[in-house]
Amino acid sequence: MMHFVAAAGPHISIKAETLFSIGGVPITNSHLLGTLGVIVLVWLLFQARAVALGKKPANFATRLITWTFEGLYSTVKQVIPDEAWAKKVAPVAITIFFFVIAQYWMGILPIVGPITIGEHATPLFRPFVADLNMTFALALVTIVAAQIYAFKYMGFRGNMGRYFINPLKDPIMAFVGILELVAEFSRLLGLSFRLFGNVLAGEVLLIMIAYLTQFVSPLALQPFYLFELFIGGIQAYIFFMLTVVFISLGLSHHGDEAHDDVHSPSLHKTVESET
Amino acid sequence: MEYLTIQLVTVATAEPAGDLFSSIGVNWTLLGLQTVAFLLLLFILKKFVYPPLAAMLDKRDEAVKASADAAMEAEKHAAEAEARTAELLDEAKREAADIVATAKEEASKTAEDVARKAEAKADALLANARDELAKDVASAKKALASETVGLVAEASGKLLGGKIDATKDAELIAKALKESQ
Repeated sequence: MMHFVAAAGPHISIKAETLFSIGGVPITNSHLLGTLGVIVLVWLLFQARAVALGKKPANFATRLITWTFEGLYSTVKQVIPDEAWAKKVAPVAITIFFFVIAQYWMGILPIVGPITIGEHATPLFRPFVADLNMTFALALVTIVAAQIYAFKYMGFRGNMGRYFINPLKDPIMAFVGILELVAEFSRLLGLSFRLFGNVLAGEVLLIMIAYLTQFVSPLALQPFYLFELFIGGIQAYIFFMLTVVFISLGLSHHGDEAHDDVHSPSLHKTVESET
Repeated sequence: MEYLTIQLVTVATAEPAGDLFSSIGVNWTLLGLQTVAFLLLLFILKKFVYPPLAAMLDKRDEAVKASADAAMEAEKHAAEAEARTAELLDEAKREAADIVATAKEEASKTAEDVARKAEAKADALLANARDELAKDVASAKKALASETVGLVAEASGKLLGGKIDATKDAELIAKALKESQ
């Protein structure tokens, strides 16, 4: 049974809620909105592709996508000075940006929340990035991609040399290496929980404003919608930027000779070139 | 608000006791499937969408760079042309100054020649005039002398032919003079 009005009180859940199962795999309310978001995103990006190939005239949406792509692409090139590696890294980071912003903004649609299902009034739609599984998956992709690129760039020994240093030769750097290893796991958690927390907080904010203002909510929600649009862009850019920086860390070490510059040498290069 | 608090507490406590991740909603199966779904999206976009967009931007960057190079080259050519023009202008000024100086010198020389020639011609004319005058004076003198002799002879003849007294003499002289005129 599907309902189109809000329940007696606001429905807030930290987890995405299972609506049904397919072959034993639970399908949650975040999956429905996520699928819708991916369809919209792919359609828009293919429109931009058609414009780039000269098959269609440009419009506002395609110009916005091309402009955003250009900005992100040049940011990747600035952070990773080696252009060949920048071109390899750019697709992962740019896809993360477009995915996060599309899913975040989908969460602002008015269908999210009011349409409920079942006797517990479970919302039919939930932002995909308000599902910890998704943010964790994105963080996992980032960290694993950073390791894969680091292995390709420095080799197995070179990459392991970032974390495991002989304590008899250099005890301080051996300790720093262990900290680096711990930092990799903390980055995984930091990335996933930061995005999840922001989206969930945004959702809770919108639900509470709508609940408290009742019939005035169409007016009262406007500034909060704008705020959420802004925060969505900021969160997507933060995730994108951190992805590029984490990957660039693995592309800026050169084995033992770079031990004095372990934190973000590629960023140092960028800052030096800019100054 | 009380309802909300109760609901949140219910959500937090109603979950069966599991590991930390499952208690906050992490389902490893879903996580794996969603990771694969994201990688599939990445593959599709990397294969079909990003290459044309990147190619378009690279092409535009190359066009901008080519235009900038062309502008720089044109600027360089313009500077060279300007320098060449200035050089030609200097050369032309120098040549014009030379021409003016030569013309002045030649004009001055011509003027001197003309003045010298005019002076010589004037001297020659003056000398001729003097010669002519001297000749005229000499011939006049000669004519006068011969006429005077004739007159004197005539006067003497007449004088000697008549009675000479003071009155007669005066008349004769006056007559002679009158006749001589």
